[in-house]
Amino acid sequence: MTLAAKRLGCGLAWVCVTLLAACSGSSTQALRDFQMQTPRPFGYVIGDTIPQRIVLETRAGMALERNSLPTPGRLNRWLQLNAVTVQELAGSDGKRYQIDLLYQQFYAPLEVKALSIPCFTLRFQQQGQTLEQPVAAWTFTAAPLRELVVRQDQHGEYLRPDQAPPLLDDAVMVRRLYVALTVALGIALRLAWLYGYLPGLPKRSVFKRAQRQLQTLGLPQLPQALAALHTAFNGLHGKPVFLHKLTEFYQSHPEYRSIADELAWFFDYSNRYFFADASIQSQEQDLQKLKAVCRHCREIERGSR
Amino acid sequence: MSTLGGVATQHRSFFAVLALINSAQLAMTSKQTLSDWRASALQLEQQINHVVVGQQAAVRNLLIAVFARGHVLLEGQVGVGKTTLLRAIAQGLGGHYQRIEGTIDLMPADLIYYTYLNQEGRPCVDPGPLLKQGEQLSVFFFNEINRARPQVHSLLLRVMAERSIGAFNREYRMPHIQVFADRNRVEKEETFELPAAARDRFFMEININTPSDDKVLDDLLFNPRYHDVDALIGEMAPSQMPYYQLNDWAAAIQNSIQPSAALRQYALDLWKATADPGAFGIALADVEIGNLLQAGASPRGVSYMIRAAKVRAWLENRDSLLPEDLQAVFAVTMSHRIFLNPMYSYRQDDIIPTLIASILNQIAAP
Repeated sequence: MTLAAKRLGCGLAWVCVTLLAACSGSSTQALRDFQMQTPRPFGYVIGDTIPQRIVLETRAGMALERNSLPTPGRLNRWLQLNAVTVQELAGSDGKRYQIDLLYQQFYAPLEVKALSIPCFTLRFQQQGQTLEQPVAAWTFTAAPLRELVVRQDQHGEYLRPDQAPPLLDDAVMVRRLYVALTVALGIALRLAWLYGYLPGLPKRSVFKRAQRQLQTLGLPQLPQALAALHTAFNGLHGKPVFLHKLTEFYQSHPEYRSIADELAWFFDYSNRYFFADASIQSQEQDLQKLKAVCRHCREIERGSR
Repeated sequence: MSTLGGVATQHRSFFAVLALINSAQLAMTSKQTLSDWRASALQLEQQINHVVVGQQAAVRNLLIAVFARGHVLLEGQVGVGKTTLLRAIAQGLGGHYQRIEGTIDLMPADLIYYTYLNQEGRPCVDPGPLLKQGEQLSVFFFNEINRARPQVHSLLLRVMAERSIGAFNREYRMPHIQVFADRNRVEKEETFELPAAARDRFFMEININTPSDDKVLDDLLFNPRYHDVDALIGEMAPSQMPYYQLNDWAAAIQNSIQPSAALRQYALDLWKATADPGAFGIALADVEIGNLLQAGASPRGVSYMIRAAKVRAWLENRDSLLPEDLQAVFAVTMSHRIFLNPMYSYRQDDIIPTLIASILNQIAAP
């Protein structure tokens, strides 16, 4: 009954406004055009949005007072105004406005029920005068999502699943993600290659392994240290490298030519250590030199020298 | 008593010092001598290289064989200078040399004696090429050895192995003999393949190939110097080496160089690889490696390799044996000691060099 009274009130107000407008010529002249475009007035459920568009055209010298528009936010217990956008276009004489209102209703009726978006008044300024244009309330019917008494079946309460939410268009973002991932993967592979982490390419990390072995070896383990470096060279070349075969080694690995002196020292030292008589006295500086050779080889291997 | 004891200790230490000085001097003298010998050996090498051009590798191997006192089998195409090379070496070494051509009707007796009727018509027996010079025989050429019969081969085996021969009811010794044999690899008709035992007794088997350098070939083609072999050999100064000392030299060289433990291991690995290449991860194309070999190198063969390697180290002016010495002599001392299964033997000329190269490329030292 209260709603009916409200509707009656609004309807009366509308009639009065129309009558007033009909009576006062200036008012009818104030707006050349006033249209309210609304969607279907039925079949709404809780959470639905209701777009409304008001298109109006003023006469020359008139301007819409923006603060007469309802402000976005909660309008009442069940209605929320989500957005208000005003587009102002130059008309033939005056101005043309397009006001978009986006309501969202949260009423959960138990049966089909008529609801109403409240009316409001638009105000216009014309040479210090204020003109008003009421916007009528808009009535629609809302329906419940489910029956009042929910059916039960053997699985308990019978409810249909929610509709899957519509997905946003993410094709562009996904493509960019793939591009970024590819680039990142490429960089990671390149770095792994440089640092010798790739297990499939053991030749790229022979000196890394030798260096790791050398770090743990002291002067008493000089034979193992020499052997570790020999193993690295042999692994890199694919066959044993000897002092007299260094030229051949440089032909297939010219990048090591830059430390030819050090390599010649290493192979000569190793020859003397392993094959000459035991007169050679190993010294700490020899081990350090050996480690330096290995370090330089490692730098060449990873391309930083 | 204590004073006497002290004097005795002093004397003992004095003698110990004397002995030390003595041995050091001896070592120095021996080093000096070895170095002098090396100089004359290198001079000989240079002279031979001057006479036989474009065969530096073969000359070096022959020189190694001379100073290791090993017998050599030369193999190569016809007319590449095998005989010239041997004659040049004989000229350089001095001593007496004898030469015999292998033919199908050559019998062992032909090497030991020959019979003829003298001017008075009486039959005579004179010593043959092996016995003629007695102990002074230093170089014995056997041309075209594969044309001679197996009976001749077996006589030669005894000469090579024991440097002695039994004839006329007594033993003749030839302590300085070195046998050089050659065979050409073109003809296979009317030839007798050398048995494995005979090949194993040869210290080295050296391949002589036509030089590949265009300059050398041009020289050989147009320089009249190379057309008269006798004159060419005559250019060499005769007898630069005291051939009767070579055995002592060889022993001194062998004693002067002591291989280290790492090198012994490397040599052992090389040897094992010739018997079972598959165990060392060696694989050849189109070859089932497990079925490839009938026999690997013999212990004698490997000891020859070490002898040769030591001589090479000496020629390179080193008193330590390096892997490169073994590698340098590996092919010439091992190729003829590896025996393939019959199913692969027709591809021997391809497989053996590949196998040798693979072994050297597979085994690391240390």
